[in-house]
Amino acid sequence: MNIASARQSASGASIRISRLEKRFGAVSAVDGVDIDIAAGEFIALLGPSGSGKTTILMSVAGFEFPTSGTIHVDSEDLTYVPSNRRNLGMVFQNYTLFPHMSILDNVAFPLKMRGLRTAERHARAEAALATVRLAGYGHRRPNELSGGQQQRVALARAIVYQPRVLLMDEPLSALDKNLREDMQLEIKRLHAELGITVIFVTHDQSEALTMADRIAVLRDGKIQQIGPARQLYERPANLFTAGFIGEMNFVDVRDESVGDDVAVALPWGETWRLPATAAVEPPAAGETAVLAVRPERLQLGASSPGHVITVTLSDIVYAGAALLLIGRLPDGTEMRARIPGASQLSSLAPGDVASFTIPADAMLLYRGKRR
Amino acid sequence: MKPPTDRSLALGAYVYAVLAFIIVPLVIVIPMSFSQNDYLAFPPSGFTLKWYSEYFDSRQWRAATWLSVQVALLTALFASVIGTAATYAMIRGRSRLVTAFQILLIGPIIVPHIALAVGLYLFFQTIGLSGTIPGFVLAHTVLTLPFVVFTMAAALGKVDPNLEAAAMSCGATRFQAFRLVTLPLVLPSLASSALFAFIISFDEPVVSFFLSGVRQKTLPRRMFEDIEQNLTPVIPAIATLLIVLSILILLGAHVLRSRSVTR
Repeated sequence: MNIASARQSASGASIRISRLEKRFGAVSAVDGVDIDIAAGEFIALLGPSGSGKTTILMSVAGFEFPTSGTIHVDSEDLTYVPSNRRNLGMVFQNYTLFPHMSILDNVAFPLKMRGLRTAERHARAEAALATVRLAGYGHRRPNELSGGQQQRVALARAIVYQPRVLLMDEPLSALDKNLREDMQLEIKRLHAELGITVIFVTHDQSEALTMADRIAVLRDGKIQQIGPARQLYERPANLFTAGFIGEMNFVDVRDESVGDDVAVALPWGETWRLPATAAVEPPAAGETAVLAVRPERLQLGASSPGHVITVTLSDIVYAGAALLLIGRLPDGTEMRARIPGASQLSSLAPGDVASFTIPADAMLLYRGKRR
Repeated sequence: MKPPTDRSLALGAYVYAVLAFIIVPLVIVIPMSFSQNDYLAFPPSGFTLKWYSEYFDSRQWRAATWLSVQVALLTALFASVIGTAATYAMIRGRSRLVTAFQILLIGPIIVPHIALAVGLYLFFQTIGLSGTIPGFVLAHTVLTLPFVVFTMAAALGKVDPNLEAAAMSCGATRFQAFRLVTLPLVLPSLASSALFAFIISFDEPVVSFFLSGVRQKTLPRRMFEDIEQNLTPVIPAIATLLIVLSILILLGAHVLRSRSVTR
């Protein structure tokens, strides 16, 4: 193990995952995944369970070997290199501190494996503990620390030998909500301080959206979309991402486009013209399609420019910053609206018919049918 | 507390009866070992330590004891090492042969010892292991493996496999991960299963009866011989010593296991 080079490379490495495939018998856990990660980038792998996100991480970590495809870190092919020779930091979901060692020995463990002398091991472990704000905890045992503290120790252990890449497998899902938010900031801060490349696996979309530079949305072993949070949220590339990230209203429509003019026929008989940019996945004329609108883009009333819908309200939920209005369109499709500033809405009651305006740029059009 | 019902009284009586039947023979044996009579008698008369000194002064008894100690120590070593390795493979491995292995390892508990003894006797006679220390150790290792496997399966099952993954991501080889992380965590159970293997081997009469040669006799084999020929109170004296040894070993195993729980 080359200690000198590990010490020098304080900043992150680039990672290239090419045509990665992993089959377990007849099941494809990962099915042709390509991801290019820039040096120092923070990337989140987001998806439901069974989407292959953990298998991808484990292949990068060296705990799974792919059926085909390659993994390069800084143009070095690591695809079949054993995990202990990859020099990557790893944080697991359930802390995985060694229960029979002190906190200091836990953090110093990677340095011991690299043959450092005790004095230097301890000095560097102390420094890593200070980085995660646990200076002075070295003499304790893992079971004397809270879950959040244990995960910070695990973080210190993962960065103590200054790896070029930090891998995290749902590191916050065992923590309660407040701790989770603290840790999100802690990890962001470390990422900024160390310049390390981070791959972060999570099933929690808000975590992915707030933390990562880019997010790869996965489903059934395939990448659905990869991009920054804003792009994923404002312009989901397909129906799955549109439904998976955030809240979304969907209306089944039929495409009535002629030439470059995008138009759709709505279930209650109206035909709307849409801006050409609305067609994320342009359907063929006459085909079924889905119109998608975020609930917070709906405006109460018919005064602003855009298309107007009438909704029969069934539920009015006070949700702090915004009021959630749930109702049905004339054809029975459910429609949700989040209206900020709830004060002027006190007159609304379930059973009322309300008009909403959908601004033209809030509409997204996809091929296919609503699930 | 609820008032005792007829059923709970009957159950209590039953439990005490069972305990009495288990403990009374032990209580009878201990005073008999101090008896002045030259034959086994109860109640004993007088008090003497001569049967103990006869045991410790006899070259034959000492030789049998020394052989049993050697065999038991080696058995404890082999059974705990092989049993731990096998259990680790069964718990962490992905092989389809795991079930077959498990049945083979636990088999000696189900197969009557006499059947195993006859089989080993015929086999060891042919290959010249009968009446040798390696022969005893091999046979006793087979007998004690199930106990090691049960103890270690419980212990290893409690160790998070991700701990080893974490160690490997820190740069440890697979073997270092086992030696530095998993092994220290299961060490109390390992020691306890070695103690059990020791006492089972030390006490084992059936297989030893078949495998003992004219000169190489284990302590239990020598005791049976003495019962057939002399039946002096040396037997209760040795039995008393064995009871004390067993209690000490059980206490040791208990202390080890409670240590592993608190970790």
